[in-house]
Amino acid sequence: MAAVSPVRANALLLGVMGFAQLLLMAASVRGSVVAGGISGAVGHATRPAVVAERSLSGTILAVVHFFGDLNAEEVANAALKREVTRLSGDVERGRERAEENDRLRRLLGMKEDLVPKSIGASVVTAQLGGQSRVIVVDRGSTAGVRADMAVVAWGGAVGRVVSVDRDFARVRLLSDPNSGASGVVARSRAEGMVVGRGGDALEMIYVPKYADVVTGDRVVTSGLDGVFPRGFGIGRVTVVGEPIGASKAIRLEPDVEDRALEEVLILLEPSGTRLLTADDAETRP
Amino acid sequence: MIVVWALLGIGLALGAELALGSIAPGATRYVDLMMLPLATYALRTSQRSSMTVGCVSGLLQDYWMEPRLFGINGLIKTILGWGLGGLGARFDLNNFGGRFAAGACINLLDEGLQAGIRRLFGEALAPVHPVTLIVRCLAGGLLTAGILAIVGKVGRARSAARPGRRKA
Repeated sequence: MAAVSPVRANALLLGVMGFAQLLLMAASVRGSVVAGGISGAVGHATRPAVVAERSLSGTILAVVHFFGDLNAEEVANAALKREVTRLSGDVERGRERAEENDRLRRLLGMKEDLVPKSIGASVVTAQLGGQSRVIVVDRGSTAGVRADMAVVAWGGAVGRVVSVDRDFARVRLLSDPNSGASGVVARSRAEGMVVGRGGDALEMIYVPKYADVVTGDRVVTSGLDGVFPRGFGIGRVTVVGEPIGASKAIRLEPDVEDRALEEVLILLEPSGTRLLTADDAETRP
Repeated sequence: MIVVWALLGIGLALGAELALGSIAPGATRYVDLMMLPLATYALRTSQRSSMTVGCVSGLLQDYWMEPRLFGINGLIKTILGWGLGGLGARFDLNNFGGRFAAGACINLLDEGLQAGIRRLFGEALAPVHPVTLIVRCLAGGLLTAGILAIVGKVGRARSAARPGRRKA
């Protein structure tokens, strides 16, 4: 029997490995248990490297922040004092509005959970490449995190959880080209879908061309996608272009800067409007 | 022993990639540190070992950095390991120019293969800016040339130290 040449043997090996990985990709798209098992094993094997990296990068960041804070401390204190004064007024006004809102909602026979249950998480690492934009956070299934939970930060919506293991979760950012969230223009209530384009800017699509949208309008989550509760900031309109077909071309500057993310909140329960049940109606004043 | 060195190299590259994402997330668009073990093994060892190193480093990258298509980076890096390993066996790429060109080319091909495979699986694609692509290729080429120069020096120092140790 003739021996197989190394060139052919390597080409054969490439074919086998390539086919196996194509199957793996197809299985992961379908959410197969096999792909989950293989990915879990890979994650388990690399956990020591990640723990070592976290302590190393934590030390480096602490040193960088220490020197940065020395210079910026006085400026930051003054800015924070101004911010606290402004926010105190906002909280008071917000409380009054919440009470009024609560009364009106009861009149309408609806109920809203205004404070969704959430847990804080630190960002372990981020991948802000062109074709995928994802962050890894240090909370996993042991903390109650599940796939498709919404993730928010100070300022607005961040993304949704796409996969979870014991101690970590991966979050697909709103700026990922395959991401999407339903949004509404706060001023005119024009609805649409906010999608990422792989860069820092977002786009709002499926907005009727006769909708009232102007530069500077604020876009918030509408709650219709079943992931984000309504009212979380998404971004501000920077460009309203010529309509493409029946839809306006709208570009947004996001409220949350992906590069600056360090801490996030994972919303453990979907929060939204639901009709009162018979029990709720009985206890209604 | 080669397996231990390969695992150590991949582990270091993964740690550096995760640390980069934590310290300077914006830089991850321009630099793919998981390419470095692949290029090192392709230009210094056999085609088969570069395919294996590429496959393992790609799968690790998929686990930590890929939101949907688990296996895409594994497949791409296996193909790149096969291609670069084959070229490395036929041509002398172990000089600055060859290493730089190899590093730049695998980063360019990676971008093209990413787009092709994602389209195959029905994913939406982000437009690629030429400046980003040029910076990525330059960074990839320089890093590959730099790492291979360091690995070459360490290898020479180790082989120079061995006879001495034997004599002692």
